Amino acid sequence: MITLKRSRATRSFFFLGNRQRELLTKIVSYAVLSVGAFTMLVPFFWMLSTSFKEPAGIFKMPPEWIPDPFTLENYVKIWQKTDLARGFANSMVIAVVSTVGEVFVSTLAGYSFARIRFPGRNVVFAMLLSTMMIPGVVTMIPAFTLFRYLDWIDSWKPLIVPLMFGSSFAIFLCRQFFATLPEELADAGKIDGANQFQIYWSIYLPQARPVIATLAVLGFIARWNDYLGPLIYVRSAEKYPIALMLTTLNTMYEKQWTLLMAGSVIALIPIIVLFVSLQRYFVGSIALTGIKG
Amino acid sequence: MNRLFQRKRELTLNQRDALWGYLFVSLPIIGFVVFAAGPLVVSVILSFAEWDLLRDPKWVAFDNWRQLLTLTVKEVPQEIDDATGEPLFLCARQKVPASQVAEIEGTIDTRTGGVVTCEPRYMPERDVLPSGYRTALSFDLLGKHYLIGSRDPLFWESLYNTLYMLLAIPISLVIALGLAIALNQKIHGKSIYRMLYYLPVVLPIAATSLIWMWIFNPNFGILNYGLGLLGLPADINWLQDRHTVKPALMVMSIWGGLGYQMLIYLAGLQNIPNHLYEAAKIDGAGLLAQFRYVTWPSLTPTTFFLLITGMIAGFQGFAQPYIMTNGGPYNSSRTVVMVIWSNAFRDLQMGYASAQAWTLGVLIMLVTALNFVMARRWVHLEG
Repeated sequence: MITLKRSRATRSFFFLGNRQRELLTKIVSYAVLSVGAFTMLVPFFWMLSTSFKEPAGIFKMPPEWIPDPFTLENYVKIWQKTDLARGFANSMVIAVVSTVGEVFVSTLAGYSFARIRFPGRNVVFAMLLSTMMIPGVVTMIPAFTLFRYLDWIDSWKPLIVPLMFGSSFAIFLCRQFFATLPEELADAGKIDGANQFQIYWSIYLPQARPVIATLAVLGFIARWNDYLGPLIYVRSAEKYPIALMLTTLNTMYEKQWTLLMAGSVIALIPIIVLFVSLQRYFVGSIALTGIKG
Repeated sequence: MNRLFQRKRELTLNQRDALWGYLFVSLPIIGFVVFAAGPLVVSVILSFAEWDLLRDPKWVAFDNWRQLLTLTVKEVPQEIDDATGEPLFLCARQKVPASQVAEIEGTIDTRTGGVVTCEPRYMPERDVLPSGYRTALSFDLLGKHYLIGSRDPLFWESLYNTLYMLLAIPISLVIALGLAIALNQKIHGKSIYRMLYYLPVVLPIAATSLIWMWIFNPNFGILNYGLGLLGLPADINWLQDRHTVKPALMVMSIWGGLGYQMLIYLAGLQNIPNHLYEAAKIDGAGLLAQFRYVTWPSLTPTTFFLLITGMIAGFQGFAQPYIMTNGGPYNSSRTVVMVIWSNAFRDLQMGYASAQAWTLGVLIMLVTALNFVMARRWVHLEG
């Protein structure tokens, strides 16, 4: 009986009118997406709610989603009594300096590969692209010995300087972008006798704002989130970026989850602000990385 | 005369442009040599040397590679009872000869109160493996018990852990595809859903790892609480139990990677030409048939791309287990990069760690190369 009923029900789905079927599909889609989104968000609710609890509040069962009493004490404490604020500032400096360098050098190289003819151009470009295939784990050890030889260990130089030479992915994106711009753009500059740097700087670069924004956002986030790099190169705690500082606090304040969750919120804030305000550049970049494969 | 002069000037202009061109790419070229090609060559050389950074590197030829890669597979016989000559079993921590197993199995253990179960008692590894070798992995096949012995068992165990945790990728892809299909319908709030799912992808792993440690907390974590509400076992010590630690880490990495996969799938779905669906409908294909014969085949390149990029990242997993479990319990969540990291930067075995890094690197490059080969095949298919 039951099986008969069920088969009638499934069959009847395909006999529904187009309108009804579309409506049903929509309802199912909303349901799937909402359940999924809720599951994705639970960790964030959990972090936020814990960060506003008093230390004893986390032992309450069932757990409170809206803390009572509600306190900002954890934020004050982790910002003033620990080195998290210093880590925050360190990360800002590292991320901004390295990203500015990376983007500038990469746009320059991308422009050159797309818009200037010089012998060996394609060979050099292919050579640079090939580095994207090298897994980081293989170059990790020799890079360390190089930086040790240069006496750069326990400084930010190993985290910043390599990016001053551009990155293959950024160069690739810039080249693809500049190649879409018309060649005639440069004519006015050439007639005025401008050199290639002037043409790049005053004609092409202003057009490249979307690519620059995308690369800046991706670069900043990658540097802010980097964990293994600072773990290898930075030794003294006062030079730690925020990611490393946070996990150091995890060992210092073990099990003090209200404090640690407040620290996590602080570490997430810059990324969430960037992400929400510059969302359209993310979507663009995702499409680009998707093509790359 | 005039014309000649002009041509000459044109030539020099082009040459001057070319010089600018070289100048603009000079930094990336230097970077390529110093930070990519150079280290690549050096790491190959290092893998044949012994170097602790303090003394000069010593050439050891293939010693590192031999120690790392030599494996031996041995069948492990059951231990024999000296008195009776029967194979031994282990029942409630007691050695029991085979003939008595039937009596004891199923009785109640007076100490623990549980039912006694018996397992074959195998010879210890030191009697089976050659000296210097320890158990990397053990497995049962066709009723026999085997050991894989290695002189570096930790590397192989960590490789097993890493491969095990790669299983999160196909699971994640199934969920991501389902979500992408739902998001591809005519619905409102697409950009909000997109943002919510994508958010974990961009967040610092140090912070999200702390959040998940707290979620997995055995006593006050939200996961065990939720399981309790559903009437499921709610006392699981997720990160401290060797049976649950890998699945727990996989759950977190699925959460962290789902948004990216979903968006790539969404782009793939939007690239499927509508006339394919129209044609399928005319042939009387239902929704399932449309998925089977239009959607899924059209998405094969996307699926493959996600699989490969996921594997490349997964092979190099480090921060998440490093922060959450430090490889424990009993190395059951230690990844290959964690082993390489501690060999190189803790124990200062630069040469040996380089050999380990290259072993992993070759695996990753094989996967990447596979991607290129398959991509080329699809292009041919389409053409």
